[in-house]
Amino acid sequence: MNRRKFLTILGSAGAASALGTAGAAKAAGGTHTWPYYENSYGVLHDTTRCIGCRRCEEGCNKANGLPRPDKPFDDLSALDERRRMTPTAWTVVNKYELDDKPVFRKLQCFHCNDPACASACFAKCFQKQPDGSVTYDGSQCVGCRYCMVACPFYVPSFEYNDAWDPLVQKCTFCEPRLKEGKLPGCVDACPMDALTFGRRSDLIKVARARIKANPGKYADYIYGEWDAGGTAWMVLAPSASAVADEKHPLAETGHEFKALGLDTHLGNRPMGELTAGALGAVPMIVAFWPVLFGGAYAISKRRDALHKAETEAVIKEARDDMANAMDAAVRKIAETQGPGVADTARQAMAEVLKTREEACANCGHHGEDK
Amino acid sequence: MRNGTTLLLLAAIAVAGVAYLTLGDAGPAPAAAPALTSVSDAPSAMVIFPVGEKPNPEGVGMKPVAFNHLVHENRIESCESCHHTGDTVACTTCHTVEGRAEGKFVTLAQAMHSPNIARQMQENTPQSCVGCHTRQLQQQECAGCHNVVKPARPETYCNTCHKVNGLTKADMVAGIAGSLPDDRNAELAADTLKARENPTQLQPTDGPYKVMIDEIADHYKASMYAHRRHVASLMERIEDNSLASAFHNQPTTLCSTCHHNSPLKGAPPKCGSCHPQRINPANPERPQLKAAYHLLCMGCHKGMNVARPLNTSCVTCHKHSEARLADSAAATLGGE
Repeated sequence: MNRRKFLTILGSAGAASALGTAGAAKAAGGTHTWPYYENSYGVLHDTTRCIGCRRCEEGCNKANGLPRPDKPFDDLSALDERRRMTPTAWTVVNKYELDDKPVFRKLQCFHCNDPACASACFAKCFQKQPDGSVTYDGSQCVGCRYCMVACPFYVPSFEYNDAWDPLVQKCTFCEPRLKEGKLPGCVDACPMDALTFGRRSDLIKVARARIKANPGKYADYIYGEWDAGGTAWMVLAPSASAVADEKHPLAETGHEFKALGLDTHLGNRPMGELTAGALGAVPMIVAFWPVLFGGAYAISKRRDALHKAETEAVIKEARDDMANAMDAAVRKIAETQGPGVADTARQAMAEVLKTREEACANCGHHGEDK
Repeated sequence: MRNGTTLLLLAAIAVAGVAYLTLGDAGPAPAAAPALTSVSDAPSAMVIFPVGEKPNPEGVGMKPVAFNHLVHENRIESCESCHHTGDTVACTTCHTVEGRAEGKFVTLAQAMHSPNIARQMQENTPQSCVGCHTRQLQQQECAGCHNVVKPARPETYCNTCHKVNGLTKADMVAGIAGSLPDDRNAELAADTLKARENPTQLQPTDGPYKVMIDEIADHYKASMYAHRRHVASLMERIEDNSLASAFHNQPTTLCSTCHHNSPLKGAPPKCGSCHPQRINPANPERPQLKAAYHLLCMGCHKGMNVARPLNTSCVTCHKHSEARLADSAAATLGGE
């Protein structure tokens, strides 16, 4: 392979890489990283029905064989504090205030249509399954916790207390139970059908029907229909009188959801789209940079080798020429003045040559240094 | 005539009369029956016909409505609540079946049924019959049933209003054309309103005394539902509510929130006939049986502001079963 051939290959590889990255960026703007599964399941959480009994927490605990919590599930004082999900409590119910009335909301993984955790994970631990669940496989997990940073709902939790093989834990949508044809543990346990299980597309219709059939009862918004690119779990909130102040004379849409601790400014595009372009280039860099720099190194190495060989050849030629001339001169002296004088002359000439070569080598080094 | 005795007598009579009236008002005897005296010149009742401008020789149209003007007149603050233009003309002057320019092409059906009319900034916001009546259902004594389940609405639901007794085809044709004489209109209205009075209702004693709810008892023991006490309590609360007595016009109307979507002749079917014990993903809107019970009970208690029992106080309605007790004992031991 000569230099031109190598550069041609490198150039075309670079162009392909650039095209690939551009393609990924384009895909990020238009389509999703994960396909939208038409028949995927979801759960509609109707907070107007939720009574805060913590049965869902108990159901989750039992279905997933998690350790018993410090406070038993029928101790409702747990609702007095705002809790977050932990590695051993994949769902928690929190109490919020709306119009001075308590409203309860269950927190768990929203199982996004296009999950941010999956887009942030370079070990590809997270998968959006066709049944709607976002599953985690810890066998490749390196414990970087990028998924926890990426999740807009603060869902994944990390086993900080495990020194040897800490993993990320989160709600699984009871995917193993779904495969057996069972309901998720929490949904099964809910005594109020505040959690309604069904196909996501059906649940959106159900939610709209509820809003329409009960004028004034619900906030006219389905949280999760579009938020963060759409989620499998969706939330309905009770309508509440908006507090309009001078700055906001018209009440903001979805202020009820804000009161329930839900971020209404996530936008309607998947979180992953923001980073897919940049992160899509990472494998490309990992694959091509060794080739690129290795190639550059090889070229310069080869150039040095060629240069050295050329120089040596020239020096050898010059040395041979000199030796031949010396031999001719010595032969001439031997013919005219006898072999004794010839020997002396040969010695003298060899010494002069040696000194000159040394001087030349020195000047040559200087030249290279410059 | 002008002597002291007569004056004293008159004064005594006056004092007695005032005393009688005052005491009578304070006493519980006349149970807030509103004085049905008209303050306007409007007829006390009229039939509202589906007036249209298209030729309609057969008199085909929605059944007209007999409207008790007097009752409504006494209930509202000003005539402009309904006569929103300030001009006390008949609704059908501007709002015909097809809509007219004078009524901004709002049809009669829209004007009478729109549930939620957008607030008008420049002028008086109109109200429809349905809109105003729907708001009345937020009253505490109504909200229990009316917020929980939407009962089936068969033809009889429309008949509550759209029904006029003794209506002939000639009346209908004339009414649609807007040419029915006023006295005939008043006669029809009076007949219909008279027939509406005092609809019979099923009494608490017609239902069971108590009902055992035990179909899904597992963690908890069966619940004993005091059926008669609940019905009696509901009836007691709406006894004096004229709106309720006007619209609960079937013997079984009061039953139809809990026993919704099923014909109410004889014994109603069990809840479990329609509500499965596990939710059907193909029909996720129908609550599973356990949730159906809880949504109904708690929804009504919430609407009626019944403070006790708390929603989360499970054992008030059904006691712990042995299995559940053993379970929580294990939990306590595990916790320790």
